[in-house]
Amino acid sequence: MTQPTFSAQSITAGLLDQIQAFQPPAFTVHTVEVLIPTGVVIGFSDGIATVKPNKVGEVGFEALVQFSTSVQGMVLGLDEEKIQVVVLGSSEGIVPGSEVYSLGKIASVPVGDALLSRVVDVLGRPLDNKGPIKTTASRPMEKIAAGIIERKDVDTPVQTGIKAIDAMTPIGRGQRELIIGDRGTGKTALAIDTIINQKGKNLICIYVAIGQKKSSIARLIATLESYGAMEYTVIVVGSADDPAGLQYLAPYAGCAIGEEFMERGQDVLIVYDDLTKHAWAYRQVSLLLRRPPAREAYPGDIFYLHSRLLERAVRLADKYVIVTVDFVGNLAEQGDAVNGFTYDGPLAKHKADTALKQLDHPDMYRVCKLRGSGGSLTALPIIETQLGDVSAYIPTNVISITDGQIYLEGNLGAAGIWPAINVGLSVSRVGGDAQIPAMKKIAGPVRMDMAQFRELQAFAQLGQDLDKSTQGQIDRGRRLQEILKQPQYQPVPVEEQVVILYAGTHGYADKIGVSKVKEWERELLKYMQKKFSAILRKISEEKRLSPELEAELNAALQNFQFEE
Amino acid sequence: MEKQTGRISAIQGVVLKILFPAGNGLPSIYDALEINRDDGSKLVLEVQGLPSTETALAVAMGPTAGLRIGMPVVNTGSPIKVPVGQCTLGRVFNVLGEPVDAAGPVLAEKFSPIHQASPLLYNQEPTVKILRTGVKVIDLIAPLTQGGKSGVFGGAGVGKTVIIMELIRSIATVLQGLAVFAGVGERSREGTSFFREMTESGVLPSTVMVYGQMNEPPGNRLRVLLTALTMAEHFRDQGKDILLFIDNIFRFAAAGMEVSALLGRMPSAVGYQPTLGTDLGEIQERITSVLGSGSITSMQAVYVPADDLSDPAPATTFGHLDGSIVLSREIVEKGIYPAVDPLASNSRALDPRIVGQEHYDVAREVQLVLQKYLDLKDIISILGVDELGENDRLIVSRARKIERFFSQPFFVAQQFTGRDGRYVSLEDTIKGFKAILAGEVDDIPEPAFLMAGNIQEVKARRESKQ
Repeated sequence: MTQPTFSAQSITAGLLDQIQAFQPPAFTVHTVEVLIPTGVVIGFSDGIATVKPNKVGEVGFEALVQFSTSVQGMVLGLDEEKIQVVVLGSSEGIVPGSEVYSLGKIASVPVGDALLSRVVDVLGRPLDNKGPIKTTASRPMEKIAAGIIERKDVDTPVQTGIKAIDAMTPIGRGQRELIIGDRGTGKTALAIDTIINQKGKNLICIYVAIGQKKSSIARLIATLESYGAMEYTVIVVGSADDPAGLQYLAPYAGCAIGEEFMERGQDVLIVYDDLTKHAWAYRQVSLLLRRPPAREAYPGDIFYLHSRLLERAVRLADKYVIVTVDFVGNLAEQGDAVNGFTYDGPLAKHKADTALKQLDHPDMYRVCKLRGSGGSLTALPIIETQLGDVSAYIPTNVISITDGQIYLEGNLGAAGIWPAINVGLSVSRVGGDAQIPAMKKIAGPVRMDMAQFRELQAFAQLGQDLDKSTQGQIDRGRRLQEILKQPQYQPVPVEEQVVILYAGTHGYADKIGVSKVKEWERELLKYMQKKFSAILRKISEEKRLSPELEAELNAALQNFQFEE
Repeated sequence: MEKQTGRISAIQGVVLKILFPAGNGLPSIYDALEINRDDGSKLVLEVQGLPSTETALAVAMGPTAGLRIGMPVVNTGSPIKVPVGQCTLGRVFNVLGEPVDAAGPVLAEKFSPIHQASPLLYNQEPTVKILRTGVKVIDLIAPLTQGGKSGVFGGAGVGKTVIIMELIRSIATVLQGLAVFAGVGERSREGTSFFREMTESGVLPSTVMVYGQMNEPPGNRLRVLLTALTMAEHFRDQGKDILLFIDNIFRFAAAGMEVSALLGRMPSAVGYQPTLGTDLGEIQERITSVLGSGSITSMQAVYVPADDLSDPAPATTFGHLDGSIVLSREIVEKGIYPAVDPLASNSRALDPRIVGQEHYDVAREVQLVLQKYLDLKDIISILGVDELGENDRLIVSRARKIERFFSQPFFVAQQFTGRDGRYVSLEDTIKGFKAILAGEVDDIPEPAFLMAGNIQEVKARRESKQ
C-alpha cells in the first residue's frame, strides 16, 4: 500500500501529542492580585459546588469565582444562605472547607487579532503550544443580540464553493444556516469546505468544537493548516472530557470572539459543531442544579439556550455620514460628518440620501459609509439527528431559530450523491437575496425542480405511464443531480458554477448519458477556461448575466463538442 | 404615597425571590417592580406569585446577569403600563411600551395596563363575514372571517411566516385598516425586514409593531403579546376595525413553560406549565370583536414543536380559533408551496349558509378526491398504479393535479420562487377546481398545474407548449 497520507498522519500525531501533553500555565492574570475570599465550599459533587457566602450580596448572578486550586467556576444559583457554582475545570482538590474567591466579573473571554490562527479553550487559554495570547481586550461571553433596528437585510453571499449549496440553499453574510443530519453524513465536512473556500475572501472564520474527541479536532486543525486556512481562523475547543459547564459556555465564548471582529466592521463566519452535544451539556448542568426537567429531560429554557446564541449572528446596519465631495476614500470617521449626524438603521442609506438632497448645495457633498460599521456574523450551527429524525425536539427547536437548514441524508450518501443533501427538506429563508444576480437568475427554479424530480422519480418507480413532459422533467433532474455532485475539498468558484448550472438548466446536458455527465462537466470547464476565460472573468466581475453576456455564453456552449 | 421597597433574596435564572419586610406591605400579582442595576440601567419585573406574607416571586423582562442578593427592589404599584392611541401608529415598541425605532419619544396622552378583562358574553359579535385573501387553498378550504381568529399551524421551516406575510400583504393593503403586529419570540432578522418593508410600502403610518423576539429572556416573550393586544384593544374600543398579526403565539406558551418550573409550579403534560389552558384562554378571549363597536381580525402563526399537532400548546390553541390552516412537511418535500394540507385545514365559515352551496360543494369534493387518493396510496405502493381500475386511475391523476394546483406563487416569496406573485379571485379559484373535478383538464400534464394562478394560466401553458 502506498502511503500518500503519511505527512498528514505525522502532523496529526504531532498535534495530538502536543494537545495531550499541554499543561495550561496557571491563569496568571489574577494570581498576582491579592484575592479576597468570598465564601467557603460546604458541599461538592458532580462538578457543582455549594458555597456559603462570607457576606450576602457580594457575588453577582453568572459571575466568575475562583477556587483555591485556581480553577474557575460560574455562579448559576444564588440565595441568602448559599451560592451554587458550576466548576469550569478540574474537580481535583476542591473540597468542603476550601475557600472561594470572587473575580469581580461575569464570564468573559479574551478577544482581538491575537486570536487569529490560534487554538484556545473556552476561557481563551492557548491549546496549541504557540505561546500566550497577547491581548488585553476581553468581552463577556453573554450578550443580548442586536435589536431589529440595528440590523439590515442579508444581502452579501458567503460563497461556500459547494454547487448544491450556493445554488439551492445559498448562505448570506449574517445568516444562520443549520447543517443537520445523522452521524457520518458529512456535516463537518461541509463546514470545513466552506472555511477552506474563504481564503482571500475577507471572512474571518471561527470553529467551535463542543463535546468532540480531541483526535477529531486535531485532524481538523491539520486539514485547515494544509489548506492554509488557519491564517484567518480561530478554533475554540470544549472537548468531550471538559466539564459540562465549559462545554455549555463554548459557543458563547466563540460568539464573543466573533462579535469583537464584527463590531469592528469585519465579516465573520462561525461554526458550532455541534449544538446537540451543547444541549446535552446544558441538560447535565441543569439537572445537577436540580432545575425541573421538561420534555426529554431537557430544562424548560432549552429553547432560549440556542435562540439567544443564534440571534447574535446578525448583519449589522451600515452607518453613513455626509462628507464633502472631495473627501478621499470609501470609509469616513465620525468627525468627517459635515452636519455632525450619523445615519443608522435598516434604512440608513435611504435616510442619508434624503438628508443629502435637503442640504443647500447637495452637489458639494456625498454620502459615505462610517468606518467600523456594518459588520456581520454568519453562523453555521450543526445538529446531529438520530435515525434521520429531523422532527425530534432539539432539531425542530434549532430549525425554528435558524434561517434555513441543509439536511444531509445517509442513504443519499450511500447512493453516491455527495454532498448528500435532501433538496426537499433543505431551505434557505434568506434565499436569493444573498446570491449574486447571475446565480440568482439561473438557480431560482433549480431547488423546486429538484424537489419535484425526487417526488416524480419515486412515483415513476410505481409503474405509472409518464407523459412526455413528466419524463422530460425526470431526465433533466437526473442530469442536474449529477451536476450537483461534488467531492470534498474541491470548491468551485461561483463563475464556474454559473456556467455549469446554466448549461444544465438550458438543456445542453440533455443529450449526455447520465453516467457521462461528470466527465462532460470537467471537459466543459476546461474548454471554458481555455477558450472563453473572458466570459468567466466577466461573470465574476459583473456578477450578473447581461443579455449580451448570455448570448456570448450560449454561443460558447453551442460550439462545445463532447465525445462520449 | 411612599412606594413599597423590598430586596432580592434569591436568584434562579430569570425568576427572582423578593423580600418585602413586614410592615412594608406586599405588591399585588402582576404589579411591575423595578431594580436599578449597577451600570445604571433599569430592570423591570412582573410579580407572578406571593408565596408568603413577606415574599414575592417575580419574572424579569431583561437579563439577570450581575444581579446580587440584597439589591433594592421598588414596587411601581401597578402592572406594566404602555402607551395607547394615535401616538402608537407607525412606531416600534418593546414589551414595556418603550419605542425601539430610534424615532424619538412617544408623546402619549394615555397609558393602559397590559392586563385587561376580556369583553363580556353579551358583547360578543355573532355574525360572520368572509375575508378574501387571494390564496387559492385558503379561500377554498379554510376561508378567513372578518373579526375572527385564524391560525397558521406548522412545524419548523414549513412556511408559516411566509403565509402570514402574504396575508398581511393581501389583506392589510386591501382593507386599508389599522394593523397591529406582535412579534413574539421569532427571529429579529424578520423584524428588521418587516420594518423595512412596511416603511417602503408606505403602510407604516397605519401600523403598530411590538417586538419581543427570541433574543429576549422568557419573561419578555411571555408579556409582549399583552402589550400588543392592549394597543389593539384601545383602537377596537374606539370603534375601529383592527388587524392583529401574531407571529408566533406558540412562543407565548413556551415562554410560560420556561418560567413555570422556576416559579415552583409542578409540571403538566410534556413539561408544560399547569396553567397552559387558562393562560391561552385569557389571552385568546381578549382577541375578539365587540358588538356595536370595533373588531379585531387576527391571524396567528402557531409553531408545532417536533411536527406534533397533539403537543399541548398547538392542541390547546386549535379550540380558540375560527379557522385553522395546517402546513405539512410532506407537502414541502414535494416542492409544493404554500404547503397547506387541505385535509387537515378547516374553517367554521366553510358552511353552505355562509360561503354558498357551490363553494361548499367544490371544497368538499376536492377533499373527497384527495382522501380517496390517500386511501389508494397503500395499494399503489404495493401493486403499482397500473393495477388500479380505470376510475381509480382517474382519481389519482386528478388528485395529483389538485395537489399541484393548490400551489401558488406568492408576492412575498418572489426571491425564492423566481416567479411573480398571483392573487386569485374566489370565483376563479372555484372555477379552476371545478374544471379539474369535472375532467375538463384531464389532458393537461401534471407539471402545468404547479405554481400557477388561475386555471386559464394552466391552459395557456399547454397551448404555449403545443
